[in-house]
Amino acid sequence: MAAGLVAAAFGAQAAGDPATGRQKNFQCQGCHGIPGWKTAFPEVYHVPKIGGQHPAYIVAALKAYKKGDRDHATMRAIAADLSDKDMEDIAAYYGGSAPAKK
Amino acid sequence: MNPTTLKTLRLLAVAVATTVFAGSAIASAEAGKKKAEPCKVCHGEGGMSKSPEFPVLAGQNADYIVAVLTHYKSGKRKNPVMQGQVANLSVRDINDLAAYYASQTGLMVRY
Repeated sequence: MAAGLVAAAFGAQAAGDPATGRQKNFQCQGCHGIPGWKTAFPEVYHVPKIGGQHPAYIVAALKAYKKGDRDHATMRAIAADLSDKDMEDIAAYYGGSAPAKK
Repeated sequence: MNPTTLKTLRLLAVAVATTVFAGSAIASAEAGKKKAEPCKVCHGEGGMSKSPEFPVLAGQNADYIVAVLTHYKSGKRKNPVMQGQVANLSVRDINDLAAYYASQTGLMVRY
């Protein structure tokens, strides 16, 4: 949140706001928010962890799903609903520093 | 002993032997670490990528990494750089790499 304010003060490019992202992630929680959750279709594997991922990478992935460059059906449907701002905010909430290598 | 007992014992012996020697079939994070040398360039030391262009891999779920690398290999997921990288990876390589990155600290589940 503080980082968002600082970014805004310096007129930084629309870095998303993690607090807003937290309000917008209801479509994400059910799969990405549950430890051990697996996809069921078309293949079975653990839903990828996104906590601590580069925010810009998350945005790029969501855009790729929205555009159809990546083909996971559920992700495409969800990304279709998200505006660029939604994507930035959600990515800011999930992203940020992953714990340093031990 | 009767034939059924003998058959059961033989089956049990095979099962035990398979379990004992199964270690070699399980993916090795240690082997994966060596195989991850070319990956470090983009994905960083231990999968802690410094650039948003290349995702953090540290701590990612192993079976997800296996799925993604397999998709790059089959062309189901398109990325010219990654396609080149996986071309020479065997199934064993993919599983070892996945085990290595999964064993690192990094990504987490966030609700």
